[in-house]
Amino acid sequence: MHFNVGWLALSLCTGSAGAEAGATPPARETILVRADHVIVRPGLVLEGAQVLVRDGRIVAVGTGLEAPEGARVVQGAWVCAGLIDPWSALGLAGDALAETNATPATRSVDGFDPYNMDHLRREALRAGVTSARVQLGSAARIGGLGTVVRLVPGLAREETIISDASNLWMTAGLTQSGPAQFVETGEGFTMVEGGRVQDPFERADSADRIVSALQAGKNYLIAKNEHRHELEDWAKKMAEKDVELDKEFKKAKKEREKGQKDAEEKDKKYEEKKYKEDKKPQPPRFDEDNEVLSNAIDGRLPLLVGAERSAEIRALLAGTAPHGRLRLVLAGGSEAVNHARELVERRIPVLVWPTPLGRSRPDEFESHDLSLAGRLSREGVQVLLGSGGRDPSATRDLPLLVGLAIAHGLSRDDALEAVTIGAARALDVADRLGSVEAGKDADLIVLDGPPLETTSHVLFTISSGRVVVTPEG
Amino acid sequence: MIAFLTPFLALAAIQTQEPEARAWTIQAERVYTGTGRNMEKALVLVRGGQVSAVTANADEEKERTEDVLRVYAVTAGLVDAGVRVTNWTSVEQSNEVTPNLRVADALDPFALEWDRLLRTGVTTVLASPLDRNVIGGLSVVLKTAGPESIAARTVKADAVLRGSMGGDPSAGNHPAFGRPTDFYSRRPTTRMGVEWEWRKAFFDTALGHNESDPGRATLVAALQGKLPIFIQAWTTQDIRTAVFLREEVQTRPEFAAAGMNTPRFVIDAAAEAWKEPQLLARSRTAVILPPFPAAGRTRENAFMAWNVAKVLKDLGVPVALSSHGSADMEQRLSVQAGYAMAGGLTFEEALAAVTSIPAMLLGVQDRVGTIEVGKDADLVLWSGEPFQPGARVVGTIVDGVLRYEGWTAVQGATAER
Amino acid sequence: MLSILLALAAAPALQNDGPLAIRAKAVWTGGGKVLENAVVIVDNGRIQAVGADVAIPDGAELIEHDGVLTAGLIALHGATGAVGETRDGTRPALPEGRVGLAVDARHLDFEALREAGITCILVTPDPAGITGGTTAVVKTAGHTVLRDPAHLSLVFSAEGLSGNTTPTSTSGALALMQNLFAEPRGVVAEARAGKLPCLFEVREREDVRRAIAFAKDKKLTGALHGAALAGEVAGDIKAAGLSVIVPALSIGTPKRTLDAVIRLQKEEIPLGFGLDTPWNHAEALRLSAVLCVRAGLDRQAAWEALTAGAARIAGVEARVGRIERGLDADLVLWSGDPLDLGSVAQTVLVGGKSVAQKESVR
Repeated sequence: MHFNVGWLALSLCTGSAGAEAGATPPARETILVRADHVIVRPGLVLEGAQVLVRDGRIVAVGTGLEAPEGARVVQGAWVCAGLIDPWSALGLAGDALAETNATPATRSVDGFDPYNMDHLRREALRAGVTSARVQLGSAARIGGLGTVVRLVPGLAREETIISDASNLWMTAGLTQSGPAQFVETGEGFTMVEGGRVQDPFERADSADRIVSALQAGKNYLIAKNEHRHELEDWAKKMAEKDVELDKEFKKAKKEREKGQKDAEEKDKKYEEKKYKEDKKPQPPRFDEDNEVLSNAIDGRLPLLVGAERSAEIRALLAGTAPHGRLRLVLAGGSEAVNHARELVERRIPVLVWPTPLGRSRPDEFESHDLSLAGRLSREGVQVLLGSGGRDPSATRDLPLLVGLAIAHGLSRDDALEAVTIGAARALDVADRLGSVEAGKDADLIVLDGPPLETTSHVLFTISSGRVVVTPEG
Repeated sequence: MIAFLTPFLALAAIQTQEPEARAWTIQAERVYTGTGRNMEKALVLVRGGQVSAVTANADEEKERTEDVLRVYAVTAGLVDAGVRVTNWTSVEQSNEVTPNLRVADALDPFALEWDRLLRTGVTTVLASPLDRNVIGGLSVVLKTAGPESIAARTVKADAVLRGSMGGDPSAGNHPAFGRPTDFYSRRPTTRMGVEWEWRKAFFDTALGHNESDPGRATLVAALQGKLPIFIQAWTTQDIRTAVFLREEVQTRPEFAAAGMNTPRFVIDAAAEAWKEPQLLARSRTAVILPPFPAAGRTRENAFMAWNVAKVLKDLGVPVALSSHGSADMEQRLSVQAGYAMAGGLTFEEALAAVTSIPAMLLGVQDRVGTIEVGKDADLVLWSGEPFQPGARVVGTIVDGVLRYEGWTAVQGATAER
Repeated sequence: MLSILLALAAAPALQNDGPLAIRAKAVWTGGGKVLENAVVIVDNGRIQAVGADVAIPDGAELIEHDGVLTAGLIALHGATGAVGETRDGTRPALPEGRVGLAVDARHLDFEALREAGITCILVTPDPAGITGGTTAVVKTAGHTVLRDPAHLSLVFSAEGLSGNTTPTSTSGALALMQNLFAEPRGVVAEARAGKLPCLFEVREREDVRRAIAFAKDKKLTGALHGAALAGEVAGDIKAAGLSVIVPALSIGTPKRTLDAVIRLQKEEIPLGFGLDTPWNHAEALRLSAVLCVRAGLDRQAAWEALTAGAARIAGVEARVGRIERGLDADLVLWSGDPLDLGSVAQTVLVGGKSVAQKESVR
């Protein structure tokens, strides 16, 4: 009896210490989540349903599921997929955010510090945000490859990094509004580069530069494809020649022996007979940046472009129109409503940062129009919502930003889609994140009210099968 | 229970908002009291925020409290007469002479600078306005730790009248071309102008020309010697100017007639005091030295010799060392004492130059500066011989409260020897 | 997929001439009281009756509202309507400068405030010198200045100091402030006599302390504005009997700041929120409160700080801030819980007149 009490006290102690210090994340568990409403994905809600989680994955979603032996049972009113911040700065140092010398192949994942700002990440988890896309070079013409990460501090690298190349990031024109700002990271202040106020001439060609970079990628892709065809042709010709040589094998053998003999007599070196098929076609010179660009042009890598003004958006849309497979996502898009029809036709989503900065009525885009997301959505444009990728502490408040977008005209379903499955699809991680479906990673939040109502509280946050937030701490 | 920086102590410090003065027994290999009585293997007992006993007697063992600190050496808390815990908001530049303004109004008890001072063993400081004015105002003597309130930490309010010679008050000023656009075009632009402002202030006071000036009372007290005047003077010409100014006040009949001919001067930041030490000895003027520069030259291109403290001391000039507001860890007070020893001072003399002498110059020697029964329990606990490279401050006690503890990091270093 | 319900279409066009009856699913009257399915009768710009079984007068226009009806929000620090007119840099002290006379109460910028459900704003002079003048309470519609002067603004932060005119120092500013309070007449005398509260502009915690010491010395009342960490010296503020205007909080506000606000509330210090329009978006007011609530601030206290509490700090509690018989009919019809940022101010009334209508998307 005495032993039991002591053991209990010890286990309680370690439990709370783990939650406080967070040096090691809680272990993976088999979990049965019971809820009054399970939002499988926006628009599909199961009433009185359960979600079974095992080995970090969702193994079943439905009604009438029972808890297996030893499973942890977690209960709440609402369940939905963990929120994804597709435009975050959490985990990148200020110098990486302000990087301006990146090339397309520069990877944000290499600048990502899984130990950085863990208190902010814990606050984000508490708010229900479980993963985020982080991106270096938020103001750069070319920011390189973004990465999608889990926000749980202390996870192993392979569990933290969901995608090490979720997208290519570029900007056109003036994307950084406002002056340079100091961002409190909890460990001091980090300067995030502010507006590179470019002159109109510099702005004018910024979309063209993106287009010409893409063209370079296209040329590379063409060269690579040509090389592939040449290789195929060459292999075919080689095979034909083999057959031909096989036919005349005896004659050729005789000729060769004669030649060798002649050479011996004349004390010369015998030279083998050459065929034009011996020469193998050369591949184009490997270029890392063009590799990335060609992946983008081929639709294997989404291209996110930060652009605010109509002029740049128009130039960008015109310049990218010939590249049918390109998967473009517009970020910022203050004046994107003007191009709504084309955006709808080409299925280009817009990643909006609905922040309450500046005057309520925009006369220039440095003021943020909270109704942008709603207006785009009403025009039929797919909207994504993010925290702007500048202030690492803003990811915590993603639900508030989404709330502001809702208040200013975005429907709740569209809003939820924007920060779950919509974001996952746009960043090519929908096979793992974004909805509550069997087979996906177990990244869930359990709430006492509807998600995205700012009056609701997150009771539990589950990230890859680990209960990282509980009502107690 | 012997507390070697036990986790309990650390916990207590976190949990209680305002730690109370505890009854400490400090067991040290060396106790440097600063009174000429140094002891080995001795005890310092602290009760009610004051030193209650300093003894080598082992019988005191039974008086031991529960809280025992065992360290290598103990000295009195260091006294820095030249800190800058203020910023530009501490000096009212719209007038070049503002004797009545109190720097205490501009101090922030929440500033992080206090913590740095505490960690380097400094327990008492003189906080002064920045030297952008000829006569900047009233400095205050206060402890580096205590309640988060300037008033509660003050040892002596209005302790010193602070001013400056030389370049600082005139730097950045310019003559007016046409109508002055701001006060920088009428303030002194040269050394001469600065000196003239001093003389004008003194003469106006003696002759009663500034009856309506709110700063008059302060200047009267200063000229009567009731309030020491700390003048910043880096270079030899500024030091001479300050000394001559004082001698002028002492000898001119106008001042004698007004009964204002006994001012007390202390030269602060006197880097070039070694050039004419006799002058300072003759006029019996005390000196505060700025930190030793790494490359000889210091501010205002003044050259500071390594043996300046020794030269002055040998002539009987009281010398205090200071950090002069530097946040550089190389220029902290304990390191300066080590440099002064390299320049020729003995350990006792160097210790006095950072404890009892500055305490005396600030007029707080009855409370701080030495380890004596009845004085404030401001103590620095060292891991080795004080001021030597490698010895570090492992604890700072202010008014009987352990305000900084470096044990956790150096538990091995302080283990029983 | 999405059904857009236009409240505009659902809400009847307000005639505004005769009496008006609003029946709402929930009426937050103030002080934590919630009436379910209650009716509010409005006539002559005032609230005439509130209750579940109030008789609807003959000829009254009836609005059925499927949401929450509250008093209008009150923002406590801003320059809307007087942008560029709130700072006179020519002298260190301008106590008689009246922002109330500089406000263009018909300025277009007020529209954004109305749309966010804000019906009153405290317009303040910039912190320049030791005092920039007096504040005024302005309605966001109807060209109404409710109270002028409302406070004497006194600057204790470094914002008031200058690089090239007096004062440049905290000590110098305090000396000037002492001289100012020797003034026998005018707003300063009124403040000294306790007839006019003061607005203490502070930034750092030590500024708060200095302001409190000065207020105690001169027996001043009023509110502190601008110190994010004021809550860390909440005990001192409580002892001095001052209120606090929390500066507008933004997305990503550090937890330490939010915790400090909660400490103010735990000490029962009267709270309001600043907005600092037009530099902040009008929604930053509700956002500030929601940020605090999510960090643990009591819901009720947060709502009071947006309405009745703010009215008390502004000295206009006899006119606005609650839904009560006799008070101005400054009302907001929210689509849902106003502390859910996703809720919209569907209809905003100032003095019984509809001043903003907004569609709601579900």
